[in-house]
Amino acid sequence: MTENPIEEVLTLNNVEVVYDYVSLAIKGVSLTVPKGGMVALLGANGAGKSTTLKSISGLLAAERGEVRRGEVKFQNENISGLMPQDRVKLGIAHVLEGRRVFEHLTPDENLIAASAVRSRHDAARNKDRVYSYFPRLFERRSSAAGYLSGGEQQMLAIGRALMTQPKLLMLDEPSLGLAPFLVAEIFQILSRINREEGLSVLLVEQNAIAALEIVSHGYLIESGRIVMHDTAEALKRNPDIQEFYLGGAENKNFRDIKHYRRRKRWLT
Amino acid sequence: MDILLLLESSLNGALVGLMYSLVAMGIVLIYKSSSVPNLAQGAMVMLAGYVILAFSNQLGLPLWVAIPLGIVTMFIIGVGIERVALRRLAGRPIIMILMMTLGIEIFLRAGSMTIWGGTSRPLPLGISDAPLFLGPLLINRAYAVGAGVAVAMFVLLVLFFRTRIGVVLRAISDDYTAAWSVGISVERGVALSWAISAVVATIAAVLWGSVQGVDQSLALLLLKGVTVAVLGGLDSIGGALLAGILLGIVEGLASIVLDPLLGGASRELVDAAMLILTIMLRPHGLFGRHDIERV
Ligand SMILES: Nc1ncnc2c1ncn2[C@@H]1O[C@H](COP(=O)(O)OP(=O)(O)OP(=O)(O)O)[C@@H](O)[C@H]1O
Ligand SMILES: [Mg+2]
Repeated sequence: MTENPIEEVLTLNNVEVVYDYVSLAIKGVSLTVPKGGMVALLGANGAGKSTTLKSISGLLAAERGEVRRGEVKFQNENISGLMPQDRVKLGIAHVLEGRRVFEHLTPDENLIAASAVRSRHDAARNKDRVYSYFPRLFERRSSAAGYLSGGEQQMLAIGRALMTQPKLLMLDEPSLGLAPFLVAEIFQILSRINREEGLSVLLVEQNAIAALEIVSHGYLIESGRIVMHDTAEALKRNPDIQEFYLGGAENKNFRDIKHYRRRKRWLT
Repeated sequence: MDILLLLESSLNGALVGLMYSLVAMGIVLIYKSSSVPNLAQGAMVMLAGYVILAFSNQLGLPLWVAIPLGIVTMFIIGVGIERVALRRLAGRPIIMILMMTLGIEIFLRAGSMTIWGGTSRPLPLGISDAPLFLGPLLINRAYAVGAGVAVAMFVLLVLFFRTRIGVVLRAISDDYTAAWSVGISVERGVALSWAISAVVATIAAVLWGSVQGVDQSLALLLLKGVTVAVLGGLDSIGGALLAGILLGIVEGLASIVLDPLLGGASRELVDAAMLILTIMLRPHGLFGRHDIERV
């Protein structure tokens, strides 16, 4: 079988995740990320966004979570049984919610630590690349990462993920707690990396305005289920979605809206 | 009271304290990587002593061969303990993990008693008994050598933590979920820290074995190690070094000042007081790190 290009880098089919053997966190999530594409996964607090990402990166095990049904396919290969480090080796990078930099390490050491699955030679090259995307990190490369600003820490978290030479970059709410201009700056850099390197991106956000600016498609997750899937343009025009960022305050996002109102609308 | 005597006693105390640090560093290494307080560290020192003697007495090898062989053996035993006993407990309540290390400690002591019996055996390093004079102060040569080795070990560890593997271990100790997320094999890192800790225990075994012989009582070094580790902050190797010096000096002074009043047990009383007071007054120890808070 030659010349059979893989269209999707990532496919989730009806993935169900339980924590502690009982509590069902996502209930049959299906989504795809096209090769070289940028896709958003939007949703409110507790909807199951982070759980979805952990089912892909394999970090569920650390929290006594488990994929109980469905399959996760990366480049057409079922990866459900793999350890997190083997998934990283395949090219899946997960930028955790809340940045989670190694606080007592310098940015330089953060990047070195993140190259455990790559050769020393690749590590040096990747580090140069990360510093070229994020010159600010280079300036601060030798102070403890815990003392960086929130924006710099987010850049470091992304840079750290890039050190693993991913084919798919998954980001969990990178805009969280950042000023709008910083969000714009970071998202611009993400688009640039996507354009220049063909890196596929799965972006989890509550900040729909910013996210829909850079992705081509978006999914909406609600109580562990995908309730909407469309192009970014269509989603922006969707009245339900619009309500979240046109309804009053300029920076309004899902977090601010009463949960039951949306739930009612989408389920009836 | 004789000021020279006090000085001499605190100086020797500081040297002995550095030898305690060696035990404490082993505890810190494991605690840093996996937050496991290893109550078997003293027993690992004891086991290492027996292992070296097995190579030198039972197989008739010279010490300069037996010690490196002991280091290699203990490295493997360290990996083995983590793999067999600790790994399966990841994520379980800390009390279970603590009880497991206590179980290992009892097992190692009982096991070595069964195999090697209870008589104390010498581990002669050939350090002369002749006293060493620093001006008017008399210094125990064996302690001086032990202190020197402890400091050297500390320097080696500091250098190690700057290497690529060392940076990875520090990353694990900072945030193991984040470590997983960038492809670090956390399990292997933790196993490595057990191995290094077992090697440090072997060095401690050589020094302490040469001072007091090899028998079950080496396992009691756990109490010194724990006190020093807690005083130093549990996750700081440098803290363990300095806390060892501090505890040694306090012990040395106590033995001069308090022993005449209390009889012979003042060192142990001072240890207990230091441990309890640290936990009550300064749970992070002298040098333990807090999470970095940005302003
Ligand atoms: N470790 C865990 N153990 C048990 N339940 C969990 C765990 N993590 C998440 N859950 C539950 O799973 C559901 C989905 O949580 P998840 O963290 O995936 O949501 P999210 O969309 O990322 O929310 P947020 O925007 O707040 O980050 C929630 O009901 C949550 O309570
Ligand atoms: Mg989340």
